[in-house]
Amino acid sequence: MALRSGWLKAPWRRTARQSDDPYWSFFINTPPADRANSLLDVIRNAPEGNVFPTKADLHTPEVTASHVKEMARYLGADLVGIAKLDPDDAGHPFAIVCGVRADHDPRQAPGIGGQVPAQNGLFVTFVLSAWIRELGYRASLAASLDAARLAAAAKLGTLDRAGKLVTAEFGARVHFADVILTDLPLAAA
Amino acid sequence: MAVTPGTETPPPPYLGRSVRIVGPVANVDMNQTPHPRNSRGELGKALFNWYRNTISRDPLTRVSAPNHFADQRNFLASVVNQAPKGKINSRQIPVSDPAAMTRHIKAAAHHMGADVVTVARAHPSFLYAAAAPPKDSAARDVYQNRSGDVYQGRTPEQMVQRYPYIIVATTAWDYDKLQAHRHYIGDAAYHVSQMKAQMILKALEGYIKELGYAALRGVSNPQAAGLASGVGELGRNGLLIHRKFGARIHMPDPIMTDLPLVPDQPVDNGVEDFCKVCRKCAINCPTNSVPFGDKVVFNGVEKYKINWLTCYKVRPYMDAHWGSCLTCATVCPFTKPNVWWRSLTVWALSTCPIPARPVLVRALKAIDDRFWGATRQTRVRWLGYDSGIKPGEQACTVAGCTAAHGTAHAASPVGNVGYYAPLKENTNRFVKRDA
Repeated sequence: MALRSGWLKAPWRRTARQSDDPYWSFFINTPPADRANSLLDVIRNAPEGNVFPTKADLHTPEVTASHVKEMARYLGADLVGIAKLDPDDAGHPFAIVCGVRADHDPRQAPGIGGQVPAQNGLFVTFVLSAWIRELGYRASLAASLDAARLAAAAKLGTLDRAGKLVTAEFGARVHFADVILTDLPLAAA
Repeated sequence: MAVTPGTETPPPPYLGRSVRIVGPVANVDMNQTPHPRNSRGELGKALFNWYRNTISRDPLTRVSAPNHFADQRNFLASVVNQAPKGKINSRQIPVSDPAAMTRHIKAAAHHMGADVVTVARAHPSFLYAAAAPPKDSAARDVYQNRSGDVYQGRTPEQMVQRYPYIIVATTAWDYDKLQAHRHYIGDAAYHVSQMKAQMILKALEGYIKELGYAALRGVSNPQAAGLASGVGELGRNGLLIHRKFGARIHMPDPIMTDLPLVPDQPVDNGVEDFCKVCRKCAINCPTNSVPFGDKVVFNGVEKYKINWLTCYKVRPYMDAHWGSCLTCATVCPFTKPNVWWRSLTVWALSTCPIPARPVLVRALKAIDDRFWGATRQTRVRWLGYDSGIKPGEQACTVAGCTAAHGTAHAASPVGNVGYYAPLKENTNRFVKRDA
């Protein structure tokens, strides 16, 4: 009989239960037979909404940056950073990098379960960028930019030799969602 | 007399102590539920315009609340719910042990971020009436998860035989932000977690299809499935009250499936005994829509029945201040932070012998009134929002801010009181209190 320890959770219990589960590796590792059963393409390919015509009343860049970070954390991001971009990036001075904790690297676990960090990351970046557009500022997702490099620039962690970001909180077990480029007046870390 | 298989009605389901089925239950026609009726303009101009033609003045509401966006493309739930349906995987995963599959589905839903996952045994009375909303119907934006041909001419009894289980997966919203009920902060807590729940359910639906089984949406009444599977008990405020989260859980469209599972049973949280005594939601409801009296029988179901029309009618008037009221969920004594003393209290209440419960409930109600107040008026600060600012006033909401703001932000709220419009006495015009 398992010990019902309540709020005293033994850290190894979770993995033990997942290894008992005969369907868990299918959930994590088997790619969907029909791509439409995964939400990722739908959210990723959704067209970008309009920028609200009236700009919202904002506080100083430092306070706005703290609001953006608080919002991202509320939406489910575990790490948020703001990096200043080079001026040649088409009028977007800032990049917002959101990381979510990932037990499995979504690039190596193509199952619906393995893609959950990517899905959670898309939830954060979609709602956060839509919110910035509704504040009256431009915000768009840039899948082409290297999120790990920008996260290092936003002082979320350090790059290892393979170009993967290692953070103090989660080590390398963190997935960085698409970078949000914005002209919202922010203060970079 | 011989009965055709699949046409006999199974005995009424046990839904816990809070709800009892006493007569024949007609399947609910989703076209006659409040939002579709409002979409067709049957509830009057003010409500119609609020629902169809209003853009919220709050940026966060515009990205999270249904129907108040400036641009639908900024609203994630519409992207998720209007996504094309995937096909069922032709290579079905065999299920030798339904209990292991039930554990797996619950673990998978929790992995996706669901707070509550339960499985109900389906019953014909849980299903919506077969008539699908027409394709051009205004109801489609409410029940857009349903594909039109889902019944394929089957009766509800045949549907239940074919798809015997309903998976209820849902999220709870944030306790601290909910304290600013009747405020944009409470709205945000509600609507963001609702979007999250819709995304989780859509992903779970896709995953069940990948396992090779059917996953039907828009066919089952979520509250009935939630009661049958032990999400909670139905309170006086017409909301399911969960053991851990109280009334702050969503009840989005559940998944009906033929995946072999083990159904959960209804629970006894002591809500039934508490609601007989408490009446906090009824006292605090700004429109007096929550009953003070006893249960009534409606559509063959004995339960507390709120007046949804008066609850609904206040919304257009309050559009400038908030979108969702949530007062009955906030003041409910079961809605507390999920910590040890509330677990202890609910445990004590639900293990107490039923005849002795009224005494315990009166004591708990007195404690609740003493420590939490009859009406919650907590001041909540979040992002640039501050519920301590009176409606109509403008103030800088950043603590310790010394920047120059001009006269527009001159007010500086002090104290710990939140101002939530409207106040009770302003809304007696909607309906007079009946007790």
